Amino acid sequence: MNIETRKRELVKEFSPLIEKTTKVSKIWMAILVAIILVGIYSFFVQLFKGHEVTGMRDNVVWGVYIINFIFFVCLSYSGAFISGILHFFKTPWKNSISRIVEIITVLSLIIGPIFILLCIGRLDRLHYLFLYPRIQSPITWDIIAIMTDLIGCFIYLYLTFIPDFAILRDHSDDAPKWRQKLYKFLAIGYQDTESQRETLHKITRTMSAMIIALAIVAYSVLAWIFSLTLQPGWNSSIFAPYFIIAGLYSGVSVIIIAMYLIRKYYHLEHYIRKVHFVSGGIILLILSLLYGYFTFSEYFSRWFSHKTHDTNLLNTLFTRYFWEFVFANYIGVLVPVVILFFKKLRTIKSITFASIIAILGLWLNRYLIVVPTLETPYLPIQDTRAEFVHYTATWVEWSLSFAGVAAFILFFILIMKLVPIIPMSGIIDNERSSKVKSTLTKPVTES
Amino acid sequence: MKRNIFKKATSISFILALLFSISTFSQELTVDDYKLSFSFKTIKKFDNSRVLEVTFIGKNREDRKDKIPVYDAEIKFFNIVNGEEILLGTAKTSNEGIAQLILSEKQKYLTDSDGYINFTARFEGSETLDSEEEEILVKDLQLHLELKEIDSVKTIFVKAFTIDSLGVETPVEELDVIISIEGMLSKMKIKEGTIENGEIEFELLQNIPGDIDKNFTVYAQILDNDEFGDVIQKQTVNWGTFTKIASEDENKLWSEAAPIWMYIVLTILLVGVWANYVYTVIHLIKIKKEGKNLELSNKE
Repeated sequence: MNIETRKRELVKEFSPLIEKTTKVSKIWMAILVAIILVGIYSFFVQLFKGHEVTGMRDNVVWGVYIINFIFFVCLSYSGAFISGILHFFKTPWKNSISRIVEIITVLSLIIGPIFILLCIGRLDRLHYLFLYPRIQSPITWDIIAIMTDLIGCFIYLYLTFIPDFAILRDHSDDAPKWRQKLYKFLAIGYQDTESQRETLHKITRTMSAMIIALAIVAYSVLAWIFSLTLQPGWNSSIFAPYFIIAGLYSGVSVIIIAMYLIRKYYHLEHYIRKVHFVSGGIILLILSLLYGYFTFSEYFSRWFSHKTHDTNLLNTLFTRYFWEFVFANYIGVLVPVVILFFKKLRTIKSITFASIIAILGLWLNRYLIVVPTLETPYLPIQDTRAEFVHYTATWVEWSLSFAGVAAFILFFILIMKLVPIIPMSGIIDNERSSKVKSTLTKPVTES
Repeated sequence: MKRNIFKKATSISFILALLFSISTFSQELTVDDYKLSFSFKTIKKFDNSRVLEVTFIGKNREDRKDKIPVYDAEIKFFNIVNGEEILLGTAKTSNEGIAQLILSEKQKYLTDSDGYINFTARFEGSETLDSEEEEILVKDLQLHLELKEIDSVKTIFVKAFTIDSLGVETPVEELDVIISIEGMLSKMKIKEGTIENGEIEFELLQNIPGDIDKNFTVYAQILDNDEFGDVIQKQTVNWGTFTKIASEDENKLWSEAAPIWMYIVLTILLVGVWANYVYTVIHLIKIKKEGKNLELSNKE
């Protein structure tokens, strides 16, 4: 079949996903916008009344904002890492999930740092970070890492979008004019010639390798913000690899959940198949075992060394945060392990359920890393009120947190309205390469 | 219940000590359970002053480890010759049960015909505690310490003699002396020997650590001698070595400027990454140019 005809067919196949918005989608988008609006209201409440409206006080100066920041940033790094791996090693089934991963990467990297801004009490002094940076501080490293990584991820995402923009430019005759103009602008004159294709493949491959390295560096820097302090529960030499494993664990889980939702609501069973879920499930199983091992190693060494402040922290975890600890470190690890270990249990729904459990467990794990440590400081703060010692998030924090999640989903849907979630160029590339293979093997078999 | 027989300060202090003694929690103890120890000694110091020291403590008759100091007890110190008592001074025992009287170099003492000075320490007693008295007879020993470097050998010379009423010096015999060096917490013994004919010399060890100016202090000590009591002499000498204590490196991350390597590593990393971004953008421009050319040629 002619490639141009095939491209036209693909555009025809995917254009309903892009151009038409179902009633369910509209309701969903309205709900998401409502959640975001509540979040914006909360933001203004916090802006005018100060951090008094949050649960953060003298002892616990970091709350759910920083937990969301870690969660989203880790999600992004793991997305970048996975995406880089998929591209660099030319994974055969990558086409169906690569765009999901890329969008997750960029969106979480945009939303994550917003939470750190919500954490800052004096936003009017934010520019001091750039005017008077201390190069010795892990916070400065993190700012540099996040900004560099964000730009890198944007470039990388854009590179993977170019061939699809070109296809949409050439074959969206029925699309509105603004959309056609936008595709033309974003396609930067890509005509899918041999040399253009080669150049694009070359730079995408280089960027994918760069993204893997960047993700590892940025992950480690994020972990060092905690582990380079002497705080009990944070000062750990394995925090950087632990964060990488935990991030990948959450990343793979979110990808599986996204795959499930996209497959179900956009009826993409033909492209997102059970094999993708099973492969993702096996990766999740390996990561859950690694994550469980790191978690055990981390808490075991603290328990065994029996240092006073570590013991105090562990006592807090086993009393005040008992159920959270059990969910984060037992249920959040063991349930996915059990579901994913047995072949019979590996159905699409069960794998997705295991991913949801893993995500909730990981979010709680982050909570247990941040809050109990701040509640058990080395030096007790004098004359502090009893209600200041313990942290409980307020409605302002929760609404902003949910607004972040809602924004993530909403932007995801909007990006899916711009380009197909399954890369058309990838399908064409696959078909082209299989055609080449068949022409190469034909004479051999015939002879 | 304890007997309410202690009225004077000394007695009250002793009974308070009894009350707060750990062993009293198990059983009720009285003064009678303690045997009082009243020991007296004299120390002639390097500036020729003399210390008269009494240690006054109660020792549990059954439990040797249980010792309680008698504090705030007034001790009188006398110099006695032929029944004539000259009060040298009084001192009260401290919380540790020690009373000290320091007599200056100028203090004159009466001696007997053999040249002995009779020092007597006396506690006159209270309603509950009996009086205590102890005397010691010592001769006034002149102990001289000299440090000389002879043919590059660092040598310690110790001279010991007595002076009679006519001013005649008499060298002492068979007197044990200890040479030590002052350390941070206590004196470190380095040599010991016996003075013969009023003299002894020691060769000093090499490379003894001194202070920052390479100084250290050498002590010559006569301890618990029946004839002279305790006599101490000291000299400070510039014969030591000074080893600079390796101080911990400052944490460079807390300084104003970061270490150079950090700037270099960060620069290399950032330049590497951004060079790749630039490389990508350059190639994107190439793709765009090629596309434009194709578009133009198609139009033509």
